[in-house]
Amino acid sequence: MSPVYLDHNATGPPRPEVLARALPLFTAHWGNPSSGHALGRAPAAAVEDAREDVARWAGARPRDVIFTSGATEANQLALRGVLALRPGRLLVSAVEHPSILEPAAAIGAEILPVDASGRVRLDLAEALLRGGARLVSVQAANNETGVLQDLDALAELTRAAGAWLHVDAAQIPGRLPAPTAWDLLTITGHKAGGFKGVGALVLRPHVAVTPQQLGGSQERGRRAGTLNTGAIVSLGEVCRLGAAPGLLDLRVRLEQGVLALGAAITGLDAPRLPNTVHLRFPGVGGDALVIALDGLGVCASAGAACASGAAKPSPVLAAMGLPATEGVRLSLGWNTHAGEVDQALAALAESLRRHRAAEELFE
Amino acid sequence: MSRVVVAMSGGVDSSVVAGLLVEQGHEVIGVHMKLHDADPERPGHCCGLDDALDARRVADRLNIPFHVVDLREAFRAAVMDDLTETYVAGATPNPCVRCNGVLKFRVLLQRALALGADALATGHYARVVNGSEGPSLHAALDAQKDQSYFLFPMTRAALTRTLFPLGDLQKDAVRAHARQMGLITANKAESQEICFIPDQDHARFIQRERPELDGSGEIVDESGRVLGLHDGYWRFTVGQRRGLGVALGQPAYVLRIEPSTRRVVVASEPRLWHRGLRAASWVWHERPSPDERVQARIRHRGALVSCSVGAGEEPALRFEEPAWAVAPGQAVVVYRGDRVLGGAWIRGAIEGEA
Repeated sequence: MSPVYLDHNATGPPRPEVLARALPLFTAHWGNPSSGHALGRAPAAAVEDAREDVARWAGARPRDVIFTSGATEANQLALRGVLALRPGRLLVSAVEHPSILEPAAAIGAEILPVDASGRVRLDLAEALLRGGARLVSVQAANNETGVLQDLDALAELTRAAGAWLHVDAAQIPGRLPAPTAWDLLTITGHKAGGFKGVGALVLRPHVAVTPQQLGGSQERGRRAGTLNTGAIVSLGEVCRLGAAPGLLDLRVRLEQGVLALGAAITGLDAPRLPNTVHLRFPGVGGDALVIALDGLGVCASAGAACASGAAKPSPVLAAMGLPATEGVRLSLGWNTHAGEVDQALAALAESLRRHRAAEELFE
Repeated sequence: MSRVVVAMSGGVDSSVVAGLLVEQGHEVIGVHMKLHDADPERPGHCCGLDDALDARRVADRLNIPFHVVDLREAFRAAVMDDLTETYVAGATPNPCVRCNGVLKFRVLLQRALALGADALATGHYARVVNGSEGPSLHAALDAQKDQSYFLFPMTRAALTRTLFPLGDLQKDAVRAHARQMGLITANKAESQEICFIPDQDHARFIQRERPELDGSGEIVDESGRVLGLHDGYWRFTVGQRRGLGVALGQPAYVLRIEPSTRRVVVASEPRLWHRGLRAASWVWHERPSPDERVQARIRHRGALVSCSVGAGEEPALRFEEPAWAVAPGQAVVVYRGDRVLGGAWIRGAIEGEA
């Protein structure tokens, strides 16, 4: 029996529509879209079709879509690319993905604190932005908790400070419509039926970035390197397909089940992604539960991992004032069905039972 | 068939354990313990990462699930801090016994049982024998590799749920198994070091942990005559001869370390032969009567010495023949034949010339 896969915020299986549209780029149309000859034409058309799909989804112009190797690269291009052109203050939220937090730390950014739900404290953000800034980077949804930020309010504060707002929306495709309040937008498709190894940075017309990768004129000179045609087409198809239906019903079913088991749900009083449930059982290590679930045929996540593969204490939970090692993330995808949610709940109950039995033995 | 969690260090021994249990038809889950962080003096060099990746490769090869568990907090408290405190108290710690007693056969075993496992298996060279009165701990058949000394703190509950599949094997046979199973760890070198101390320089480790402490002081003889100076009493162990740089007219050995005065007391060889020892925190699997002649090991790889164990909570252990250099902080493990009866932490020697 294949495992129940509830780790779609890490990555997910490609959708059949995506595979069908991308396959020709690996067979008949394997050429380099930058080539001027016959074999470059079909791949170039496929990439431009995908660019239009991404732009339409994001509400942007196709020429403002820069394809990258993934959301991580798009995030670096946003931060470094803006500040190289217009040096100044950078502020990022405390719960950003490491692909924002690590370059931000290297640049010397300031941190926007979050409340107990993990949302940026607007009062503190307003105070911090009063001194003016060049760039503010805030995620649309948190990768661990699924909590959504109030981007409209943040965009207003950012604009008043004379800064641009970069939004890391890596978790949004396939789950929700694109955010509207942003100056730069990061996306990827592999968590929603697309391929790994591709992402995009989308710009508003008034925004420019300095390229961070040199050596070719691809992407209007803003990102050098031969285009990853099949993966780019997959991202286009994910954007064309839009949000998968039924995710919210499944999330509610899962949440009711875990609450009945005595779990606390992180960010319960905040708006969250329709596919993500982040839960905690007080005093029970998240990684122990995730390993036990693996043994029972359920794939879940305890957050970030270090190079060895060990679960790391979550900086996201720490920033929210929660125990940093107790989280378990269950994230649903386009192919998840209700029976799998019920299987996961049964496995979670069994994992807890075993955990408590082992504890008793050593008391 | 049962479900067994194997503690996979990334070395050849635990790799073979995993392979043998898979061959025997068990449902095997590999677990690697992340115990400490990278060496802060060598950026980019992540201690243990290569071992974790080797263990993962072996697990992949055996087609078993594999997990790395973060036990840094427990290891820091039970082993690293204990090492520093013991040295600062003027004794010589044994981190491997602490790691086995607290980390492997308590924290990790509990984690294994929480996975629904029936047992935890490790690559230790030792044996658990199940008799009518329950399980007992015994030395390995390969006396050169025996690690039962490190395992004395194991409780009966732990022994019941532990497998040592290498206890009946010779090291050569283990390597042969590894090659035969095509495991990448087959020819890996042995690790005989304290895993979290770079270059085995424990004095530097203590300096980094407790920068406010000054351990420097005098080297004196038993009458108090100053023979020289040292730059940290925690560099010394009872019985140590090297690195003293003092002359007694005859070879000088560390007899005693006095942390309150930071003095290292040295003496000539005959004074280092001890009549017995006192130890605390005894763990008994089966306590011998005071008139029984048993054997004791007072350091890893040390010879077995015949002795008897007195009565009381903190009994004295008396050697039949004097034993060399009893070092406070080390473990003393009591055997009857190849069976471990119990053990404790050495507090001090009962002195006296042979």
